[in-house]
Amino acid sequence: MNMHPRALEHATSTLDHVIPNESELTAGARIVPGRSYGFFTDTTVCIGCKACEVACKEWNNLPADNLGLTGQSFDNTGALSANTWRHVAFVEKSGSHGLRDGLDQKFQSGWLMMSDVCKHCHNAPCLEACPTGALFKTEFDTVVVQQDICNGCGYCVPACPFGVVDVSTVDGKAHKCTLCYDRLKGGLEPACAKSCPTDSIQFGELSDLQVRAAERVEHLHGIGVESAYLYGTPDAPGATGGLGHLNAFFLLTDRPEVYNLPAAPTRPANRVAPSLATGLATVAALALASAFLFAPSPEDRRGGRR
Amino acid sequence: MTTTISPDAAAATQDGPEDAPRIPRRATAPPSVHGRPNRAGWTGPTYYGRSQLKASPFENPVVGGYIFLAGLSGSAAVIAALADLRQGAAAAALVRRGRYLALVAPILGAPLLIYDLHTPKRFYNMLRVAKHTSPMSIGTWILMGFTGAAGLTAAAQAGTDLWPRLRGLNGLARAAQVPTALTGLGLSTYTASLLSATSTPLWAAAPRSLAMRFGASSMASAASALALTEPDPDHRRALEGTAAAALAVELAGAAIAHATYRRTGVEGALKGKAGRVEHIGATLLGTALPLGILAASLLTRRGLPRPVTALAAVATLAGTAALRVSIMAAGDRSAEDPDVSFRFSQPENLPER
Repeated sequence: MNMHPRALEHATSTLDHVIPNESELTAGARIVPGRSYGFFTDTTVCIGCKACEVACKEWNNLPADNLGLTGQSFDNTGALSANTWRHVAFVEKSGSHGLRDGLDQKFQSGWLMMSDVCKHCHNAPCLEACPTGALFKTEFDTVVVQQDICNGCGYCVPACPFGVVDVSTVDGKAHKCTLCYDRLKGGLEPACAKSCPTDSIQFGELSDLQVRAAERVEHLHGIGVESAYLYGTPDAPGATGGLGHLNAFFLLTDRPEVYNLPAAPTRPANRVAPSLATGLATVAALALASAFLFAPSPEDRRGGRR
Repeated sequence: MTTTISPDAAAATQDGPEDAPRIPRRATAPPSVHGRPNRAGWTGPTYYGRSQLKASPFENPVVGGYIFLAGLSGSAAVIAALADLRQGAAAAALVRRGRYLALVAPILGAPLLIYDLHTPKRFYNMLRVAKHTSPMSIGTWILMGFTGAAGLTAAAQAGTDLWPRLRGLNGLARAAQVPTALTGLGLSTYTASLLSATSTPLWAAAPRSLAMRFGASSMASAASALALTEPDPDHRRALEGTAAAALAVELAGAAIAHATYRRTGVEGALKGKAGRVEHIGATLLGTALPLGILAASLLTRRGLPRPVTALAAVATLAGTAALRVSIMAAGDRSAEDPDVSFRFSQPENLPER
């Protein structure tokens, strides 16, 4: 059992204080401003317990979205929204085509579960679109909406290539995962990662996570899960079209669409210049044509002003 | 809303009764989204027929209305300035109406934008930052600059109208119309990049041709609005010529846009009501019809009778408004329909590096 040596300093089960730099104990990563943090979500070990959804709602004080049943497997959450910042997707597949093939019955061997979250993109389209500066990059390289600035213009909603950001009908502001900005400030790892019982959600410094994820893919390939790949690491699917890498990235075993992820999202800001330039050229050319049509008539030219 | 698995399907499976049924994607998806199966769209797996995107929370008639008024205003300022620079006092009446028409975006358009905010009392937060990556921020500053310049131009114009002997006011209006026209160029077309710089497939698919259509239809709408009220036949002919040129460019833009929609696989978003408005209302009745009328009028020496060209002007104005609102609605549809949104986000649609 790997236990952090610092754990011995807090041996009792009741504590009268916050453990300094607690994330070092729980996630193995000390939180230092100026470094890049993110999530590595390994879907191969997700058991669909939704502890992340609950932990997120509790810590962030978010109301429920849907109290009914969707009829879509165990997914009664549906999608990420203004009030739901972690969403566990359930895909019922038959046959794993991998490690457990032939061991379990097929119907038991192919479930895909994935805890979806804001990707905290490197070139975040929501942030780039935000006209008020409410969305900003924090000192932990995460993307957060400042609730006291947002005026609910809603432009970040269509900007997001992953359908994450949402405007609340309750308070008229945009909301999304903050990667527990308040917890990071206090040296705590995000609530979802801390609550995850299988370490499907891993929090840490991005460079560490990317190395760990690459090793995990290699390991999975070695034991026969050849379909495993990373989504959102540099130059992988999800980190396409100028988006850069995603600070919250995933290990998947089926094509992205199965998990409701786009295979090749793009950075919307790259379309500003071509669109503006073409529009201005069009209007300027038509203005020139109009100037030609408004040529002064001969008597005006001779007699000057009437 | 009941999901039933047919007994035949369950009996036919060899792998056990609890084997996962094939997800009835097209049955669970909203029927309005899947009016007809679309062969050009995404045919692979989806997550219970859900799209990975969220549609914009804009109210389409409100924001579409603003885009219409912004184009009308901006282009009216451009035409008024050109007419003044080219013909001076000979076009004074036209220039006056153009300068006043330019006030519709500041007076009517800006309140529409504030109305569409979900926290309208914080509208002034738009002025905290200036961002070149956000067309909404760029547009905010274009609109601010235009409002100041167009307001000054119109105020000086009003002063000249009231006190003709104050010669300085005319000079002020002539000076202020230059920044008004320059920001007017931006106001006529930035709204296209506002839509294109999103992840909404229909808007993102054709950034250049959408800008062409929006910019050209702005010019067409302003020229038509000014032509409607223009008594001088020579000026009316120049305005109708401007409108005809703009409509021709708009039609070319529409052709390029539709070819791009087919190539990138987002055409399915134009299959519903919004698509019909775009095809019939905006392109056919709002662009091709007035272009035909105006071309016929310009090619005949004396022009077609005034009611006929007035019909062309009204059709142009209605078509311009219909284009904006229908593109917004079809864009929302493209974001909500996984057949379109997943098809668009395939690697083949990535921009070349």
